[in-house]
Amino acid sequence: MDQKDILFKEIFDKNSKKIFHLCYGYTGDHDAANDLLQETFLKVWQNLDKFRNKSLISTWIYRIAVNTCLTYLRSEKKQAKDELTDNIIETKVEEHSEKNEQVAMLYQSIAKLEENDRLIITMVLDELPYAEIAEISGISEGNLRVKIHRIKQKLTELYNHHARI
Amino acid sequence: MQEFNEIEALWAKHTVEVKISADEMLKQAKKEVNSLRVKSLLNIAGMAISFFTVTAIWLFLSFQSWTTYLGISIVIAAVGVYTVILYNNYRIIAKNDFTVNPNQFINQLKRYQVSRMALHNRLYWFYTTALSLGMGLYFIEVLENFEVWQKIFALVLSFGWIILCSTILRKAIIKKDKEKITLLIEKLERIGKQFIKSNE
Repeated sequence: MDQKDILFKEIFDKNSKKIFHLCYGYTGDHDAANDLLQETFLKVWQNLDKFRNKSLISTWIYRIAVNTCLTYLRSEKKQAKDELTDNIIETKVEEHSEKNEQVAMLYQSIAKLEENDRLIITMVLDELPYAEIAEISGISEGNLRVKIHRIKQKLTELYNHHARI
Repeated sequence: MQEFNEIEALWAKHTVEVKISADEMLKQAKKEVNSLRVKSLLNIAGMAISFFTVTAIWLFLSFQSWTTYLGISIVIAAVGVYTVILYNNYRIIAKNDFTVNPNQFINQLKRYQVSRMALHNRLYWFYTTALSLGMGLYFIEVLENFEVWQKIFALVLSFGWIILCSTILRKAIIKKDKEKITLLIEKLERIGKQFIKSNE
Protein backbone atom coordinates (compact mmCIF):
# COMPACT_ATOMS: atom_id res chain seq x y z
CA MET A 1 0.00 0.00 0.00
CA ASP A 2 1.57 3.34 -0.99
CA GLN A 3 1.89 6.53 1.02
CA LYS A 4 -1.19 8.14 -0.56
CA ASP A 5 -3.39 5.15 0.34
CA ILE A 6 -2.22 5.19 3.96
CA LEU A 7 -2.76 8.94 4.22
CA PHE A 8 -6.24 8.65 2.69
CA LYS A 9 -7.32 5.92 5.09
CA GLU A 10 -6.01 7.93 8.02
CA ILE A 11 -7.91 11.00 6.82
CA PHE A 12 -11.11 8.99 6.32
CA ASP A 13 -10.98 7.38 9.77
CA LYS A 14 -10.34 10.73 11.42
CA ASN A 15 -12.92 12.84 9.58
CA SER A 16 -15.69 10.63 8.21
CA LYS A 17 -18.02 10.92 11.22
CA LYS A 18 -17.91 14.71 11.31
CA ILE A 19 -18.36 14.96 7.55
CA PHE A 20 -21.31 12.58 7.84
CA HIS A 21 -22.84 14.89 10.50
CA LEU A 22 -22.45 17.80 8.10
CA CYS A 23 -24.07 15.90 5.21
CA TYR A 24 -26.85 14.51 7.41
CA GLY A 25 -27.54 17.94 8.87
CA TYR A 26 -27.67 19.37 5.35
CA THR A 27 -29.93 16.76 3.74
CA GLY A 28 -31.85 15.40 6.73
CA ASP A 29 -31.70 12.05 4.95
CA HIS A 30 -29.46 9.15 6.00
CA ASP A 31 -28.98 7.63 2.52
CA ALA A 32 -28.37 10.98 0.84
CA ALA A 33 -25.85 11.80 3.58
CA ASN A 34 -24.01 8.56 2.85
CA ASP A 35 -23.92 9.39 -0.87
CA LEU A 36 -22.58 12.87 -0.13
CA LEU A 37 -19.98 11.47 2.25
CA GLN A 38 -18.71 9.13 -0.44
CA GLU A 39 -18.73 11.88 -3.07
CA THR A 40 -16.75 14.12 -0.73
CA PHE A 41 -14.06 11.53 -0.08
CA LEU A 42 -13.91 10.69 -3.75
CA LYS A 43 -13.01 14.34 -4.36
CA VAL A 44 -10.55 14.24 -1.47
CA TRP A 45 -8.82 11.30 -3.17
CA GLN A 46 -8.84 13.08 -6.54
CA ASN A 47 -7.40 16.30 -5.09
CA LEU A 48 -5.11 14.95 -2.42
CA ASP A 49 -2.00 15.89 -4.42
CA LYS A 50 -3.27 19.50 -4.51
CA PHE A 51 -3.31 19.83 -0.73
CA ARG A 52 -0.40 22.08 0.23
CA ASN A 53 -0.66 22.30 4.03
CA LYS A 54 -1.72 25.96 3.79
CA SER A 55 -4.61 25.12 6.09
CA LEU A 56 -5.52 22.20 8.31
CA ILE A 57 -6.42 19.09 6.36
CA SER A 58 -9.77 18.99 8.21
CA THR A 59 -10.53 22.54 7.00
CA TRP A 60 -9.71 21.51 3.47
CA ILE A 61 -11.95 18.42 3.66
CA TYR A 62 -14.80 20.40 5.19
CA ARG A 63 -14.57 22.88 2.34
CA ILE A 64 -14.86 20.06 -0.20
CA ALA A 65 -17.82 18.66 1.75
CA VAL A 66 -19.55 22.06 1.92
CA ASN A 67 -19.17 22.56 -1.84
CA THR A 68 -20.35 19.02 -2.50
CA CYS A 69 -23.44 19.63 -0.36
CA LEU A 70 -24.16 22.94 -2.08
CA THR A 71 -24.21 21.31 -5.51
CA TYR A 72 -26.27 18.36 -4.31
CA LEU A 73 -29.54 18.18 -6.22
CA ARG A 74 -32.39 16.07 -4.94
CA SER A 75 -33.94 14.03 -7.69
CA GLU A 76 -37.72 13.72 -7.78
CA LYS A 77 -37.39 10.23 -6.35
CA LYS A 78 -35.35 11.55 -3.45
CA GLN A 79 -37.77 14.42 -2.90
CA ALA A 80 -40.68 12.01 -2.71
CA LYS A 81 -38.67 9.93 -0.30
CA ASP A 82 -37.87 13.04 1.67
CA GLU A 83 -41.56 13.73 2.17
CA LEU A 84 -41.80 10.29 3.68
CA THR A 85 -38.81 10.86 5.92
CA ASP A 86 -40.86 12.68 8.57
CA ASN A 87 -43.20 9.72 8.79
CA ILE A 88 -40.35 7.28 8.87
CA ILE A 89 -38.70 9.19 11.70
CA GLU A 90 -41.97 9.32 13.59
CA THR A 91 -42.52 5.58 13.15
CA LYS A 92 -38.97 4.74 14.08
CA VAL A 93 -38.90 6.83 17.21
CA GLU A 94 -41.70 4.82 18.71
CA GLU A 95 -39.28 1.93 18.82
CA HIS A 96 -36.40 4.04 20.05
CA SER A 97 -35.51 5.81 23.22
CA GLU A 98 -36.49 9.32 24.13
CA LYS A 99 -32.99 10.48 23.32
CA ASN A 100 -33.22 9.17 19.77
CA GLU A 101 -36.53 10.93 19.39
CA GLN A 102 -34.89 14.18 20.47
CA VAL A 103 -32.01 13.65 18.03
CA ALA A 104 -34.46 13.01 15.17
CA MET A 105 -36.28 16.18 16.14
CA LEU A 106 -33.00 18.08 16.16
CA TYR A 107 -32.17 16.92 12.62
CA GLN A 108 -35.68 17.90 11.52
CA SER A 109 -35.15 21.36 13.02
CA ILE A 110 -31.77 21.76 11.33
CA ALA A 111 -33.38 20.76 8.01
CA LYS A 112 -35.76 23.74 8.39
CA LEU A 113 -32.86 26.26 8.36
CA GLU A 114 -31.46 27.90 5.21
CA GLU A 115 -28.88 25.76 3.38
CA ASN A 116 -25.89 27.84 4.40
CA ASP A 117 -27.07 28.01 8.01
CA ARG A 118 -27.46 24.23 8.17
CA LEU A 119 -23.83 23.78 7.26
CA ILE A 120 -22.60 26.41 9.71
CA ILE A 121 -24.62 25.16 12.68
CA THR A 122 -23.51 21.56 12.11
CA MET A 123 -19.90 22.71 12.31
CA VAL A 124 -20.69 24.74 15.45
CA LEU A 125 -22.32 21.71 17.06
CA ASP A 126 -19.28 19.63 16.16
CA GLU A 127 -17.20 22.21 18.05
CA LEU A 128 -15.06 23.45 15.20
CA PRO A 129 -13.23 26.66 16.13
CA TYR A 130 -14.90 29.80 14.74
CA ALA A 131 -11.73 30.70 12.82
CA GLU A 132 -11.89 27.36 11.03
CA ILE A 133 -15.62 27.70 10.23
CA ALA A 134 -14.93 31.19 8.85
CA GLU A 135 -12.15 29.82 6.65
CA ILE A 136 -14.30 26.93 5.41
CA SER A 137 -17.35 29.05 4.61
CA GLY A 138 -15.46 32.07 3.24
CA ILE A 139 -17.15 34.48 5.69
CA SER A 140 -15.24 36.93 7.89
CA GLU A 141 -14.99 35.87 11.53
CA GLY A 142 -16.84 38.97 12.75
CA ASN A 143 -19.80 38.34 10.45
CA LEU A 144 -19.74 34.69 11.29
CA ARG A 145 -20.14 35.37 15.03
CA VAL A 146 -23.24 37.49 14.36
CA LYS A 147 -24.60 34.88 12.02
CA ILE A 148 -23.99 32.02 14.45
CA HIS A 149 -25.79 33.94 17.19
CA ARG A 150 -28.85 34.29 14.91
CA ILE A 151 -28.75 30.64 13.81
CA LYS A 152 -28.54 29.42 17.41
CA GLN A 153 -31.63 31.44 18.30
CA LYS A 154 -33.49 30.22 15.23
CA LEU A 155 -32.56 26.58 15.84
CA THR A 156 -33.60 26.75 19.50
CA GLU A 157 -36.95 28.23 18.44
CA LEU A 158 -37.49 25.54 15.80
CA TYR A 159 -36.50 22.78 18.19
CA ASN A 160 -38.81 24.00 20.92
CA HIS A 161 -41.60 24.39 18.37
CA HIS A 162 -41.11 20.75 17.28
CA ALA A 163 -41.00 19.63 20.89
CA ARG A 164 -44.33 21.29 21.64
CA ILE A 165 -46.08 19.53 18.72
CA MET B 1 -38.39 24.90 26.91
CA GLN B 2 -34.81 24.01 25.95
CA GLU B 3 -31.81 26.31 25.69
CA PHE B 4 -29.10 26.05 23.04
CA ASN B 5 -26.60 24.49 25.46
CA GLU B 6 -29.02 21.60 25.99
CA ILE B 7 -29.17 21.12 22.22
CA GLU B 8 -25.37 21.10 22.17
CA ALA B 9 -25.31 18.46 24.91
CA LEU B 10 -27.80 16.32 23.01
CA TRP B 11 -25.70 16.61 19.86
CA ALA B 12 -22.50 15.70 21.67
CA LYS B 13 -24.08 12.52 23.06
CA HIS B 14 -25.47 11.23 19.76
CA THR B 15 -23.52 8.89 17.54
CA VAL B 16 -23.90 8.11 13.85
CA GLU B 17 -23.03 5.02 11.93
CA VAL B 18 -20.91 5.51 8.83
CA LYS B 19 -21.82 2.60 6.61
CA ILE B 20 -18.61 2.50 4.61
CA SER B 21 -15.13 1.57 5.89
CA ALA B 22 -11.86 3.28 4.98
CA ASP B 23 -10.81 0.25 2.91
CA GLU B 24 -14.06 0.15 0.95
CA MET B 25 -13.90 3.90 0.38
CA LEU B 26 -10.33 3.68 -0.90
CA LYS B 27 -11.28 0.85 -3.26
CA GLN B 28 -14.30 2.75 -4.52
CA ALA B 29 -12.39 6.02 -4.96
CA LYS B 30 -9.71 4.33 -7.04
CA LYS B 31 -12.30 2.53 -9.15
CA GLU B 32 -14.36 5.65 -9.83
CA VAL B 33 -11.38 7.86 -10.63
CA ASN B 34 -10.14 5.26 -13.11
CA SER B 35 -13.55 4.80 -14.70
CA LEU B 36 -13.97 8.57 -15.12
CA ARG B 37 -10.58 8.80 -16.76
CA VAL B 38 -11.25 5.81 -19.02
CA LYS B 39 -14.69 7.13 -20.00
CA SER B 40 -13.44 10.55 -21.04
CA LEU B 41 -10.40 9.06 -22.77
CA LEU B 42 -12.61 6.62 -24.69
CA ASN B 43 -14.84 9.49 -25.72
CA ILE B 44 -11.91 11.52 -27.04
CA ALA B 45 -10.24 8.43 -28.55
CA GLY B 46 -13.47 7.54 -30.42
CA MET B 47 -13.58 10.99 -31.98
CA ALA B 48 -9.86 10.88 -32.78
CA ILE B 49 -10.29 7.51 -34.54
CA SER B 50 -13.15 8.95 -36.63
CA PHE B 51 -10.93 11.91 -37.48
CA PHE B 52 -8.05 9.74 -38.68
CA THR B 53 -10.35 7.33 -40.55
CA VAL B 54 -12.01 10.10 -42.53
CA THR B 55 -8.62 11.72 -43.13
CA ALA B 56 -7.33 8.38 -44.46
CA ILE B 57 -10.29 8.20 -46.87
CA TRP B 58 -9.37 11.68 -48.11
CA LEU B 59 -5.69 10.75 -48.55
CA PHE B 60 -5.79 7.19 -49.84
CA LEU B 61 -8.94 6.89 -51.93
CA SER B 62 -9.21 8.69 -55.21
CA PHE B 63 -12.33 10.48 -56.26
CA GLN B 64 -13.26 12.19 -59.49
CA SER B 65 -15.24 15.12 -58.25
CA TRP B 66 -14.02 18.07 -56.18
CA THR B 67 -17.33 18.04 -54.30
CA THR B 68 -16.37 14.69 -52.73
CA TYR B 69 -13.09 16.13 -51.43
CA LEU B 70 -14.89 19.20 -50.18
CA GLY B 71 -17.49 17.02 -48.43
CA ILE B 72 -14.83 14.91 -46.72
CA SER B 73 -12.88 18.04 -45.74
CA ILE B 74 -15.98 19.50 -44.10
CA VAL B 75 -16.56 16.28 -42.15
CA ILE B 76 -12.88 16.21 -41.07
CA ALA B 77 -13.09 19.83 -39.91
CA ALA B 78 -16.33 19.19 -37.97
CA VAL B 79 -15.00 16.08 -36.27
CA GLY B 80 -11.67 17.81 -35.54
CA VAL B 81 -13.31 20.88 -34.00
CA TYR B 82 -15.70 18.67 -31.99
CA THR B 83 -12.77 16.63 -30.64
CA VAL B 84 -10.92 19.78 -29.55
CA ILE B 85 -14.09 21.16 -27.88
CA LEU B 86 -14.66 17.81 -26.18
CA TYR B 87 -11.12 17.93 -24.81
CA ASN B 88 -11.53 21.54 -23.65
CA ASN B 89 -14.82 20.62 -21.98
CA TYR B 90 -13.08 17.83 -20.14
CA ARG B 91 -10.47 20.33 -18.95
CA ILE B 92 -13.18 22.77 -17.79
CA ILE B 93 -14.84 20.02 -15.74
CA ALA B 94 -11.47 19.14 -14.27
CA LYS B 95 -10.99 22.83 -13.38
CA ASN B 96 -14.14 22.91 -11.23
CA ASP B 97 -12.28 23.23 -7.99
CA PHE B 98 -14.13 21.88 -4.96
CA THR B 99 -11.25 22.97 -2.73
CA VAL B 100 -11.88 26.73 -3.10
CA ASN B 101 -14.19 28.58 -0.72
CA PRO B 102 -17.97 28.28 -1.35
CA ASN B 103 -18.40 31.86 -2.65
CA GLN B 104 -15.70 31.43 -5.28
CA PHE B 105 -16.91 27.93 -6.03
CA ILE B 106 -20.50 29.06 -6.62
CA ASN B 107 -19.41 31.86 -8.99
CA GLN B 108 -17.08 29.53 -10.85
CA LEU B 109 -19.81 26.92 -11.19
CA LYS B 110 -22.43 29.41 -12.39
CA ARG B 111 -20.11 30.67 -15.11
CA TYR B 112 -19.34 27.12 -16.14
CA GLN B 113 -22.99 26.03 -16.27
CA VAL B 114 -24.03 29.03 -18.38
CA SER B 115 -21.16 28.62 -20.84
CA ARG B 116 -21.87 24.90 -21.13
CA MET B 117 -25.50 25.51 -21.95
CA ALA B 118 -24.57 28.05 -24.65
CA LEU B 119 -21.88 25.79 -26.03
CA HIS B 120 -24.16 22.79 -26.10
CA ASN B 121 -26.71 24.56 -28.33
CA ARG B 122 -24.31 26.40 -30.64
CA LEU B 123 -21.96 23.48 -31.03
CA TYR B 124 -24.72 21.03 -31.89
CA TRP B 125 -26.05 23.05 -34.83
CA PHE B 126 -22.58 23.71 -36.17
CA TYR B 127 -21.75 20.03 -35.97
CA THR B 128 -25.01 18.76 -37.53
CA THR B 129 -25.00 21.33 -40.34
CA ALA B 130 -21.37 20.62 -41.19
CA LEU B 131 -21.90 16.86 -41.07
CA SER B 132 -25.04 16.98 -43.26
CA LEU B 133 -23.39 19.29 -45.77
CA GLY B 134 -20.22 17.17 -45.87
CA MET B 135 -22.13 13.92 -46.30
CA GLY B 136 -24.42 15.44 -48.92
CA LEU B 137 -21.43 16.52 -51.01
CA TYR B 138 -19.72 13.17 -50.48
CA PHE B 139 -22.79 11.20 -51.60
CA ILE B 140 -23.09 13.08 -54.94
CA GLU B 141 -20.19 11.08 -56.41
CA VAL B 142 -20.11 8.03 -54.20
CA LEU B 143 -23.74 7.06 -54.75
CA GLU B 144 -23.69 7.84 -58.45
CA ASN B 145 -23.33 4.23 -59.64
CA PHE B 146 -25.48 2.64 -56.97
CA GLU B 147 -28.93 1.16 -57.53
CA VAL B 148 -31.84 3.44 -56.69
CA TRP B 149 -32.82 1.37 -53.65
CA GLN B 150 -29.23 1.44 -52.40
CA LYS B 151 -29.14 5.21 -52.78
CA ILE B 152 -32.40 5.56 -50.90
CA PHE B 153 -31.23 3.16 -48.20
CA ALA B 154 -27.93 5.04 -47.69
CA LEU B 155 -29.64 8.43 -47.62
CA VAL B 156 -32.46 7.34 -45.32
CA LEU B 157 -30.02 5.66 -42.94
CA SER B 158 -27.55 8.57 -42.80
CA PHE B 159 -29.95 11.49 -42.70
CA GLY B 160 -32.53 9.55 -40.69
CA TRP B 161 -29.94 9.16 -37.96
CA ILE B 162 -29.07 12.87 -38.09
CA ILE B 163 -32.77 13.81 -37.96
CA LEU B 164 -33.36 11.44 -35.04
CA CYS B 165 -30.42 12.98 -33.15
CA SER B 166 -31.57 16.55 -33.95
CA THR B 167 -35.16 15.98 -32.88
CA ILE B 168 -36.09 13.30 -30.33
CA LEU B 169 -32.65 12.60 -28.82
CA ARG B 170 -31.54 16.23 -28.82
CA LYS B 171 -34.78 17.45 -27.24
CA ALA B 172 -34.59 14.81 -24.54
CA ILE B 173 -30.94 15.58 -23.73
CA ILE B 174 -31.48 19.35 -23.75
CA LYS B 175 -34.59 19.04 -21.56
CA LYS B 176 -32.78 16.93 -19.01
CA ASP B 177 -29.71 19.15 -19.08
CA LYS B 178 -31.77 22.35 -18.90
CA GLU B 179 -33.81 21.15 -15.93
CA LYS B 180 -30.70 20.12 -14.07
CA ILE B 181 -28.79 23.30 -14.86
CA THR B 182 -31.77 25.59 -14.10
CA LEU B 183 -32.32 23.85 -10.79
CA LEU B 184 -28.65 24.13 -9.90
CA ILE B 185 -28.39 27.80 -10.92
CA GLU B 186 -31.58 28.65 -8.97
CA LYS B 187 -30.21 26.88 -5.96
CA LEU B 188 -26.78 28.47 -6.24
CA GLU B 189 -28.32 31.93 -6.57
CA ARG B 190 -30.45 31.32 -3.48
CA ILE B 191 -27.41 30.10 -1.53
CA GLY B 192 -25.32 32.95 -2.98
CA LYS B 193 -27.83 35.39 -1.41
CA GLN B 194 -27.36 33.66 1.95
CA PHE B 195 -23.61 34.34 1.68
CA ILE B 196 -24.24 37.99 0.77
CA LYS B 197 -26.53 38.33 3.82
CA SER B 198 -23.71 36.91 5.96
CA ASN B 199 -21.31 39.55 4.74
CA GLU B 200 -23.67 42.48 5.32
